[in-house]
Formats: sequence, C-alpha cells, structure tokens
Amino acid sequence: MEFLSRKNFFTWLEGLKTAYQVFVPCKKGAYRFYKRYTSPADDIVIGEVRTTEPLKGFFTHAREKVAEEFNPEAPPDKNKPFAIVGVKACDLKGFLVQDQVFAHQSPPDPFYARAREDNLIISADCTLTLDTCFCLALDHNPYPEGHFDINLSEVEGGFVVETGSSKGRQILEKHKNLFQEASPAVLDEREARRKNIVAEVVSKIEENEVPYQEHYPGMVERNYKSKIWEEEAQRCVECGACNMICPTCHCFMLTDQKSGDQFARFRHWDSCMLRNFAQVAGGGNPRSRLWMRLRNRFEKKFDFFPKVADFYACTGCGRCVTACPAKIDIRRVLKRLVHNE
Amino acid sequence: MNKWHNPYSPVKTEVIDSIVETPTIKTLQLKPQVPIAFEAGQFVELTIPGLGEAPFTPSSRPSVTDEMFLTIMKVGKVTEAVHLLQTGDTVGLRGPLGTGYPIDSFMDKEVLVIGGGCGFAPLRSLMYTLFERSKEFKKLLFRGGCRSAQDLLYRQELAQWAKRDDLDMKLTVDAGDTSWKGHVGVVTMLLDDIGMDCHEGIAIVCGPPLMMRFVTMKLVEIGFQDQNIYLSMERNMSCGFGKCGHCRLGTYYVCKDGPVFSYDKIKPFPDIWS
Repeated sequence: MEFLSRKNFFTWLEGLKTAYQVFVPCKKGAYRFYKRYTSPADDIVIGEVRTTEPLKGFFTHAREKVAEEFNPEAPPDKNKPFAIVGVKACDLKGFLVQDQVFAHQSPPDPFYARAREDNLIISADCTLTLDTCFCLALDHNPYPEGHFDINLSEVEGGFVVETGSSKGRQILEKHKNLFQEASPAVLDEREARRKNIVAEVVSKIEENEVPYQEHYPGMVERNYKSKIWEEEAQRCVECGACNMICPTCHCFMLTDQKSGDQFARFRHWDSCMLRNFAQVAGGGNPRSRLWMRLRNRFEKKFDFFPKVADFYACTGCGRCVTACPAKIDIRRVLKRLVHNE
Repeated sequence: MNKWHNPYSPVKTEVIDSIVETPTIKTLQLKPQVPIAFEAGQFVELTIPGLGEAPFTPSSRPSVTDEMFLTIMKVGKVTEAVHLLQTGDTVGLRGPLGTGYPIDSFMDKEVLVIGGGCGFAPLRSLMYTLFERSKEFKKLLFRGGCRSAQDLLYRQELAQWAKRDDLDMKLTVDAGDTSWKGHVGVVTMLLDDIGMDCHEGIAIVCGPPLMMRFVTMKLVEIGFQDQNIYLSMERNMSCGFGKCGHCRLGTYYVCKDGPVFSYDKIKPFPDIWS
C-alpha cells in the first residue's frame, strides 16, 4: 500500500483531469455533494461520510438519450469519462444491484456497461457517521472492500492508498512520483480509524434499534397481509424521493420525443411509488393502492433480490430516511417487519 | 453482435396494410427492414416514432420473418395512433422479446387452446405453428369466446379452421344476436364435456385477466395439472428485457421470463390476477 500526502493529492487530481472529468465531494452546510474538481479548496471532503446524492447518477443518468432514429448502435459518448473521488462503501454496494440488472443480465445495457468500463472510482473510508447510517446491519463495513479502482483512507497528513483493479494500478504507476510506500505507522493508524468508525456505526444501529440482515429472511412474505403497510403508507405523498435517492433503485421509464423529422428515445429514472408505475394501457393496475406500492418497494429490496440474486437491495446508507417528507423510516419498517411475528 | 448493440433501438418498419377487424381492433401488416424471427408466445415492442412504444404478441406465422402482423385493440395513447396508421407509414419494431411456448414438450399430448376476446391475436400465431406440427400431438382442440359476434376476431379464418380435420373447435359469445348461430355463454361452459384426458393434457389460455382466472380455476377443477396450464400474463412491459422493473410478478419479470408462464410457477405469488 502507498501513502499520498494531502499536497500531492491535489497534484494528482490535477493530473487526472487530462483523461477524466474529475468529481469530488464538497461540503455545503451539513451536506456533501459531488462537484466538478477545478482547484484545491477547503470545502473538498474526501473522508467524512456519503454525499447527499447517490453515485448511480454517474452510471445511469436521471435522463439519458438511449436511441436515435433507427440506429442499431448506441449513440457515442463524446465526453471524457468520470473519475469520481471520495465514493463511500454504501454507494459501492449499490453496484451489486446496478451491475446485476444492467451488466450481468443479458442483454447488457450498453450505456451502463460503457460507463462501468470507462469511469474511474476512487473511493474513501468513512471518517464520521450520520444518525441515519446502518451499513453494518446490511453486512458491509463503512470502508470500501471491493468495487473500487483506488481507495483512499484518510490518515494524518494524507491518505493510505490501496488499489482494487488493474485500471487503478495503472493510474498509480503513471503518477508514481507522487506516492511513497505506506509506513507501518500509517497502516496502524488506518486500522485504528477503521475500528473506531465501525464502533460508531454499531452504536447508531443500536440507538435506532435497526435489525441486522440475518433477521430478514421471510419477513416480507410473513407480513404480506399485515396492517404495517397501510399504516406506514398513510403519510406518503408519492413524491418518489426514496427511489430517486436510493443507490440500488434501478427502475426506469422510456419516453419518445420528436424533433423535426427525427425521433429520440430517453430513459428516465422512475419510481415504483407512483400510481401509474405498473398500470397497463387498458387501465388495469396490480398496485392501485399506495400501501401496495410501499409493500412492493420492500418486496423488491428484501424479497425479490435475495431470491434472484442472493443479496438485499439496501446499502444502509439512510438516504431515503432523510429524503422522505413524510418521515417513513426504512429502519422503523424493518424493525416492525422483523418483530411482527 | 456489436459490443455496443443497442437493445433500446427499434428496427425501421414499413406499414404495408391496416386491416379493420372489429370496431376497436385493427391488424397491421408490417415489413421490417431487418427480418424478425420469433417463436409463438414471444412479443415485440411497436414504436410510433416520436410518440412511444407498446408491447404486442404477433398474430402471424412465426416461420415468416420478413413480414409480421400485429392485431391491436384501441385502448391507449399508442394504440390510438396505431389505428390512424396508413399504408406506407413508418413505424419501429423491437424484438423478439420474452420466452415463447415450449411446444416441443407438447409432443404426443392432447393440446387444448382457449382464447378470449383479444387473446385470439397471439393465439392465431400459436395455432399456425400447432397446425404445421399437428401430427406431433395426440389431439388439438380450440375453445374460444368473446363478448358478441361483432367482437369476434378473424371470423372468416375461423370458419376455415372449423373445417380442419386436425382441429376440434368450438366458439361461444357472451351475448348472442341474429347473426350468431353458435353457443351463447362464457367460455368456461365449453370446458364441461371437453372429452380429453385432462390429467395428461396441455392447456393454453390467453385472454383478459378475468377470463384467464376463471378458465384456470375451471381447468384445475376438471383435472388439469398446474404445470400443464400455460397462461399469458398481462403486466406493464416497457424495456422488454428485465431492466426497467415495471412488469415484475413475484420473482419474475413478465417481459423476460414470460409473458407465457405455466400456472405452477406463478401460483405461489399473491395477486397474480390483478
């Protein structure tokens, strides 16, 4: 493993700009957002905790052109790929779902596959927690252990740097004068910091009484007819924020547009909480009631994905908890589902 | 296939003809620029350029790939535009999508096909295939029903089918009139004395959800096994390859794992008929 000083870190980012559009998390008030990197600035926060918006927007855009006229090939992407810096472990876990849907299942989505191949992920350990964090309940740590090209662990004066792919190793090699071998002392510091952050997440999980995933099997099926859904959905305003902000939600809709003689097809993020999501042209709707759609959301994440792909489609990032104007708290719903024997 | 082959992109297709079937149903005769080979039961997405797409199962012979017929009821935004199409217009086709009927597994069995209303359209495509292979089956039966004689699709063609030696066919309408000489009543009535070995037989059902529900109950009641009842499930299919999420049914996507399912596969899921 290598060590990268904070000063060299910015030189490195500058160098990455040749091949990539570099994005870094920046702090604004109590929140963090990805911003295009221009020059060193105090509001750039590599460690800390997840951004407000999910990472998925760099891989499937909220609105994206997916077909033009009758051209059988995917329209070319003329922009430089993204280098996304400071990605947190909860967003990396989102790749389990997004990859399964868009890359592993035939046919692959050419836009996603291309972005996965070309984009560079420079992830980072969490160095603080939010009250809504519960990643450990979903069986992953608050520091990256896979799905990254390069990972940065913040230590005094800089970062411990770990590579996770051949692409990452090549990039390090290219800029090797900026890196030095990590000393045993900084590696110890990394371990100590990781232990601390794990303890912090554990205490958040305990404070909020979030059940761990070993208690999830069967909970949705068992509660299919429960009143929980109606009670929880009562205040839902059908805004779809929980879907948009979720790193695992992948559903989309296609719309066509005309401009002159040409037509184009667009893919937009969609929300299963909206009334017409499953409605057919004839008017039939298998989930006509709001509570059915809330149940469907949990069924998809905690019943469908474990059955078809062997993982829960939740990363414990807590974004939906913060985003929901009706305060529908996924942690509370999970607790109710697990304890409603 | 090119690495960046685009599954969202339709094949340019010419409208050869638009045939009026009933007051609300038309059949489009289409010629795609690239031939489309499909199996009975698979579907396509039809693009009205600039307006949108909708899924349809072809009503034509799967063995013919340079032309395709789609029989379409006017129910929504896209299908209203479909009904305005004229010879020479350009549309788009994506497909084939989904999984067809496992016809090879029907070998040496008695095969019963049951259609309701608009369900005759995809079943016509299946029947063409079954006719081509009719020697492989012990017996071939067709039972069909619709609301009224005016709503009956392919009337002239059905009259030809009635004369076939390799088919035992009966039709019914919910409400009879002077032009109708056949059975009156719902299609389940025609299953009472079906005269086949139900326990070993294959049943294929396609029609409105309510009709499929009652027919399935009846089939089970008269002795068909769940795994031998094939149903065409209706869900909101959009992308057609299991990514957009709209058509999920239990652990399946109707567009990718269906739209044809044997009853045993979907029976465990709640609310399959809604």
